[in-house]
Amino acid sequence: MSTVLSIENLSTFFKTDKGIVRAVEDVTFSLEEGEMLGLIGESGCGKTTVAQSILRLIEYPGKVVSGKVILNGKDLLKATDDELYSLRWKEISVIPQSAMNALNPVYTVGDQIIEAILLHEKVSKSEAVKRTKTLLELVGIDGERQKSFPHEFSGGMKQRVAIAMALACNPKLVISDESTTGLDVLTQAQVIALIKNLQKKMNLSVILISHDLPMVTAICEKIAIMYAGKLVEWATTEEILNNPKHPYSKALLNATPNLSDPDREVVSIPGSVPNLVNIPKCCRFHTRCPYAFDRCLNESPELREVTPGHYTACFLEGDKNG
Amino acid sequence: MGKFLASKFLQYVIVIFLMLTLNFLLPRLMPGNPLIFLAGEDVGFMSSAEKEAILEKHGLNQSIWQQYGTYIKHIFTGDFGYSYQQKRPITDLLMERLPWTLLLTGLGLVISTVIGVLFGTISAWRRGTKTDANLLTMFMFLSAMPSFWVGMILVSIFAAQLGWFPVFGAEAAWSNFKGVDRFIDIVEHLVLPLTTLVLISVTSTFMIMRYSMLNVLGEDYIMMAKAKGVKEKVIKYKHAMRNALLPVATVFMLSLGFTLGGATVIETVFAYPGVGRLMFESVLSRDYPLIQATFLIITFSVVIANFLADLLYPLLDPKVGK
Ligand SMILES: Nc1ncnc2c1ncn2[C@@H]1O[C@H](COP(=O)(O)OP(=O)(O)OP(=O)(O)O)[C@@H](O)[C@H]1O
Ligand code: SF4
Ligand SMILES: [Mg+2]
Repeated sequence: MSTVLSIENLSTFFKTDKGIVRAVEDVTFSLEEGEMLGLIGESGCGKTTVAQSILRLIEYPGKVVSGKVILNGKDLLKATDDELYSLRWKEISVIPQSAMNALNPVYTVGDQIIEAILLHEKVSKSEAVKRTKTLLELVGIDGERQKSFPHEFSGGMKQRVAIAMALACNPKLVISDESTTGLDVLTQAQVIALIKNLQKKMNLSVILISHDLPMVTAICEKIAIMYAGKLVEWATTEEILNNPKHPYSKALLNATPNLSDPDREVVSIPGSVPNLVNIPKCCRFHTRCPYAFDRCLNESPELREVTPGHYTACFLEGDKNG
Repeated sequence: MGKFLASKFLQYVIVIFLMLTLNFLLPRLMPGNPLIFLAGEDVGFMSSAEKEAILEKHGLNQSIWQQYGTYIKHIFTGDFGYSYQQKRPITDLLMERLPWTLLLTGLGLVISTVIGVLFGTISAWRRGTKTDANLLTMFMFLSAMPSFWVGMILVSIFAAQLGWFPVFGAEAAWSNFKGVDRFIDIVEHLVLPLTTLVLISVTSTFMIMRYSMLNVLGEDYIMMAKAKGVKEKVIKYKHAMRNALLPVATVFMLSLGFTLGGATVIETVFAYPGVGRLMFESVLSRDYPLIQATFLIITFSVVIANFLADLLYPLLDPKVGK
C-alpha cells in the first residue's frame, strides 16, 4: 500500500473583525491507497476547513498559512494555478457538506457532470453524455434524468447526483464532507452504504467527514479526531475504540450511545469549545480536560506516535513514551 | 406553460379593466362639479354652450352604464379625451411626447443597467479590496446627489461654460435638420439629460448586482465549480453572473414598465419634451383629463412590462414556470 495523500502541519486561519480565527492549526495525518479515513469532531472544529484547504478552495478572509498537502509526492499548496486546475476533480473530488446547494440551479444536472468530464478528459460531448448516464445509474438515478434541473430532484437524489459527479473523472481520492446531513436516517444509511460500496469497487481512498462516531467506526479503517482546530488523535478504528489515548477521544466515546452495550451510561462532556479567535498557546482541550495540569495551559502538545500507527497530542501520553 | 400564461393574461386583462373603471369613476364620484374633473378648472371661464358640449361629449346626461360604454369605446379607439387647457386632443399630446420619453428613459435604463451590472460584478468579485471599496464609495456618492442638482451642474459646466452641448430641449427649435444632421442634433440634445439620468439611477443596479453576486459567490455551487477545476473566468460568467443577474432582470422589467412615465425632474430641468414633463405641467395646471390619461398610459405599460417579464423569466430561471 502506498500513501495517497499526506497532510503535514497544515494551518488555516480566518481574518475577522475580532481577530484571527485559528480554525485549523498544525494538523497532520495521511491516507493510504484504498483506505477510508473518518475525520470526526464537533461542529466548528475545522473539518470542512481541512477539506477545503486540501484543494486550495479557502477563500478570503481565510488563508492557508503553513503546512504541506502532498498528493503523490507533489505539494498542492505550491502547485501553479494550471496544475491545480488540471488536478482538481481528476485526482481529488469532493462530495460537499450541503450537496443540496452544490448544484447550480440554472443548469441541468447532466450539464454539470458533463462539464467536469469535458474539462479533464479528451472525450466527445456525446461520449460524456453517455458516461453521465452510466454514472447516474451507478448511484441509482435514471440516466435520462440528466436533463432535469436540480430543483426537480429530492434532497436524497441531489446527494446521489453529487456522488455521481464526484466520481465523474475516476479520482483517486474522494472527500465526503458530512454528505448525509439533512437526510432521513434510512436515506443516510443508503448514501453511506453507496459510498462504501463504490469505494471498494473502485479502490478509492476516501476521507469521510462526519460527527456520527458510530457510523464512522462501522465503516472506516482509520479515524482522525479533531478538537477546536487541532488534530488530537489518529489511529486505526480498532485502536480508537479499544485503546483511546486522548482525554477528548475517551470523553467522546463515553458521550456516544453504544447500541451493543445499551446499559452503559452516556456521559456528556462538561464545558464548551473554546473561542478560536486569537487563541493563546495551550492545549485547546484544557478547559474541559479532567487531567489538565500547568503545562497544558501554556504549551501546545504536539502530535506524537505513541504506539506504532497510533498518534495523539496530549502531554500525558507524550511524556510516557517520548 | 401555455396554461400558466393564459391565466396570467386573464389576470392582466382584469387589472386593466379595473384601472379603466377606476379612471372612469373617479371624476364622476368626486364631490363637486364633475365638469371640473373632466375638463379641468377652466370650466369657470367657459360659456354655457361650451359646457353643454362637454356634457354632451361625455354623455353626462346619460345613464352611468351608457357613459361607461362610451368611455371604454373611446379608450379602445385611442381617444383619451381632450385637454381643454392645451386645446388639443390628449392622444396627440401623448404621441408627441412618448417617443422622446422612450428615447431618454429607455436608453437611460439600458445604459445604467449595463454599467451597474458590470461594476457590480467587478466590485463583488474583488470583495474586500480597494477596488471594491472605491467603487462602493463612488456609487453611494452618486446616489446621494439630487437629480436636479446633477442636471444643473452638468448644464452649467458642459452647456453654459464649455458650450459642448445645448442647454435644453430635444432638438434645435425652428431648425430644419434632416437625416444625419437631425440625428446628430438629437444626440447632442440627449447627452446631458441622459448622463444625468444614468448617473442618478445607476447606483440601484450596481447595488443589486453587487449584493446578488456576493450572495452567489458564497454559494456552494461556486465552490464546487472551483473544486471541479473550472477556470476563474468561466466561474465568473457562466456560473456566478448567470445566477446573479436574476434579481437585476426582475428590477429591469419593473423599471421598464415605468419608462413611459418619463423622468419628471430631469425632463423639467432640461425642458425635455417627454411625458414626465407633460405630467408635471398637467398637475401644475390641474388639467385633470391629461393627468388621468398619463396615469392610464403608465398603468398600461406597467401591466405590459409585467406580462413581458412573465414571458421571459422562465427562460432565465428554470425554477419558474414549466
Ligand atoms: N469565512 C469564515 N470566516 C471566519 N471564520 C470562519 C470562516 N469559515 C469558517 N470559520 C471558522 O472556522 C472554524 C472551523 O469551521 P469549519 O467549517 O471547518 O468547521 P466544521 O468542523 O466543518 O464544522 P461543521 O461540523 O459544523 O461543519 C469555525 O470556528 C468557524 O467559525
Ligand atoms: S494536554 Fe493536558 S489538557 Fe490537553 S488533553 Fe492532555 S492532559 Fe488534557
Ligand atoms: Mg463542516
